[in-house]
Amino acid sequence: MRISLTVRGALLGLLGLPFLVLWPTWWMPLVLLGVWAAILLADALLAPHPRRITVRREAPVQVRLGNSISGRLLLVNRSGRLARLEVRDAWNPTAGLAEQRTALQVPSGERRAIPQRFTPTRRGEHSSRALLIASRGPLGLARRTGPAEAPGRMLALHPFGARRHLPSRVQKLREIEGLAAIHQRGQGTEFDSLRDFVDGDDVRSIDWRATARRRSVVVRTWRPERDRHVLIVVDTSRTSAARLGDGTRLDAAFDSALLLTALASQAGDRVDLLCIDRIPHVSVLGTTRTTVLNQMVSATADVQPAMVETDWELTATTIAERARRGSLVVLLTPVEGSVVHTGLLPVAARVAKDHPLVVSSISDPALESYASGRGDLETVYRAAAAEQARGERDGVVRALERVGAHVVDAPPDRAPQALADSYLALKAAGRL
Amino acid sequence: MSITSLHADTAAGPVAPPGADGAATGPASPGSRGAAGAGENNGGRGRPWFIALIALAVIAALGAAIARGYYRDGPLEPDAPTGQGAKAVVQVLGDHGVEVTTQRHTEDAADALAQGRTVLVTAPSSLTATQITALADALEAGSGRLVLVQPDFVTLSYLTPLISPSGAVRSETALEAEAECGDTAHQARRLQLPDPEESLAGAATLYRTSAEADGCFSTPEGSLVAQHDRLLVLGSPDLLTNDGVAGADNSALALNALGATGELTWYVPSATDPMSSGSQSLASHLPPWTGPLALWLIVVALAGLLVAGRRFGPVVVEPLPVTVRPQELVLGRARLLQQTHQREAAAGALRAAACSRLADHLGLRRESRLDALIAALEPHVGATASQLRTLLGPGPVTTDQDLLQLAQDLDRLEKEIDR
Repeated sequence: MRISLTVRGALLGLLGLPFLVLWPTWWMPLVLLGVWAAILLADALLAPHPRRITVRREAPVQVRLGNSISGRLLLVNRSGRLARLEVRDAWNPTAGLAEQRTALQVPSGERRAIPQRFTPTRRGEHSSRALLIASRGPLGLARRTGPAEAPGRMLALHPFGARRHLPSRVQKLREIEGLAAIHQRGQGTEFDSLRDFVDGDDVRSIDWRATARRRSVVVRTWRPERDRHVLIVVDTSRTSAARLGDGTRLDAAFDSALLLTALASQAGDRVDLLCIDRIPHVSVLGTTRTTVLNQMVSATADVQPAMVETDWELTATTIAERARRGSLVVLLTPVEGSVVHTGLLPVAARVAKDHPLVVSSISDPALESYASGRGDLETVYRAAAAEQARGERDGVVRALERVGAHVVDAPPDRAPQALADSYLALKAAGRL
Repeated sequence: MSITSLHADTAAGPVAPPGADGAATGPASPGSRGAAGAGENNGGRGRPWFIALIALAVIAALGAAIARGYYRDGPLEPDAPTGQGAKAVVQVLGDHGVEVTTQRHTEDAADALAQGRTVLVTAPSSLTATQITALADALEAGSGRLVLVQPDFVTLSYLTPLISPSGAVRSETALEAEAECGDTAHQARRLQLPDPEESLAGAATLYRTSAEADGCFSTPEGSLVAQHDRLLVLGSPDLLTNDGVAGADNSALALNALGATGELTWYVPSATDPMSSGSQSLASHLPPWTGPLALWLIVVALAGLLVAGRRFGPVVVEPLPVTVRPQELVLGRARLLQQTHQREAAAGALRAAACSRLADHLGLRRESRLDALIAALEPHVGATASQLRTLLGPGPVTTDQDLLQLAQDLDRLEKEIDR
């Protein structure tokens, strides 16, 4: 506990001036100082002790980034006197608490609430670092300050802006499932039901045994196989720290991953997630279809880019451990000229041998605008440099496709849809 | 581990994602700690030889000061061995048994005068009216002798009406004592005055004496030494300085005039004398409560600062995630190309990009040759094969203007195919 002055307490000292004029001796300031200190101390001791104020927090648990959420601090005055309080709830700045400081009065034995409104500006975990209560004396000359125990935590979740594209993709998924009746029999499809033959059906799909039991000709129908496994691998290395438009590349990667998860769980597939750079960070493994999206949103909330290179060998080992043969592996990493040197290519070749592999790259929209720049000399040189970079990237894309990976390269605002579409295309082709 | 900032957008420094279990340490962390440690070592160890050198210099300076003997230098300072000092006279007087004391305050000098001592005023012209009046009163009251060195008219008018300045000696001269001088000559026959250019206070002053006052070493303008009762006036400080005292019979005059009573007070007027200035009267105009009031206001101001500087709880620091501008590589390459005038390389990149886009449009393979592309293009555009070849082929680009033109031509060609 600390005792400190208020502004009024400091101004009180000016009341000593007439005494000094009337008795102008050198010991008079000492006398006045003593009187002043005594008054301040008495006022401070008349204030209720901060420990006699109990605090309970009704803090929000989690909020989607970009939204606001309310919480409350409930203060109960257990002392016998009216408490004139000043409360500071010191959250970290990006938690976006509107008012950190509040002044209020709590009568003896009563309870008051401090409403709080949070608008976080950063994804991840936010917490209250300190909660301090200052109790002013009845004259308002001095105050006693003490800490209060009320830990507060809040998780700001990824905004998942791509979820508005989910209904249209689910619609497409249903269409694919409906189309499966006339789908040719093949890899990645499973038996669904029997129905009457109509003109145009493939004669190879006629179920002769069922036809023999009935008068009419009956065909088998198939639908895309369910309960397949999708492993999403998100690269959190230095390339994911790039600022593209409003957010980082990692934000866009999570947006893509979440849309794919939502879509795949609708399609009945199991989805696992792995965030990796030099070491594996967060993984969401073996959850049920209904809870996977929630778990993934919570798990990715606090993952931030790290200034290291990705260890692709480790990634390949982890993929081999976590993914069964034949399950879809989605690698969310930028495809740039420089990745040739980081060892992505041989690892992609190895993974693509055992799994269908989709490499989803989030490209820099600034590159496109540079490449189309004309006018003065500087912009033309910039366009040339951008074209060079794009040429290198196209080379890497071709190299990846040669080893069997499917590459989806799109700017951040189109990347989630593009990845979802390529997943649907794989489903429709029966490769999954 | 991470650089902290209170602003959301300014962020730097590596931040490992949580769940890293501390294994993903940023490369900056051990390096910076090592650098800090090295800095401390440097500061702590210092340079012993450097400190020793400084100590040696200080000791040497102190030793030199002691060996030289501390003295205060100034005109007619009794301890100064310099040319303008008067150590010679003081020392010889001491050897002859005269007790010499130095005073710097008028009050002390007046006391000595009242006690019957001989008082020498080295710079009477610098005294204020109050000081001269104090001296005059002491001269009246006591039995001491007062010796003034080159006083001006105002100073003299307070002390005696019989002696007043009448002229100056403007060249190097020797003045002879007249026969009728008697006691006033102090057994000196001839006084030597230096050239006014080299002398301490310019030209020596001559005084006119009237009635009962005696003058000696005279020119037609007046006398260099004048005496009335117990007041002695010397016309020049050069009669007493270390440089001037050796000339002719100057020493005789100095020793006899100052050593007559056996007790001499050497009064050097000083600026810190409480009687000398009017500044002390300004403070005395202030009311008596000024001091305590100012002290109290300082105390209250300190309390105000304490209130203003109060911090309610800690400053909250927050590690922010890193963001990097990804375009730097492209922009840097563009500037590099421009600075080295790599027009061919820039044109090559633009042509290659245009060719691959055109090939995509026309359904050709990207790897197809330029001839095939031109052949496929020719029917669709209003340009001949040779024109297309200069545009898309590896032709020379000599000026910046050509490069700009090429970029625009390529654009136009692509638009034509798009249509």
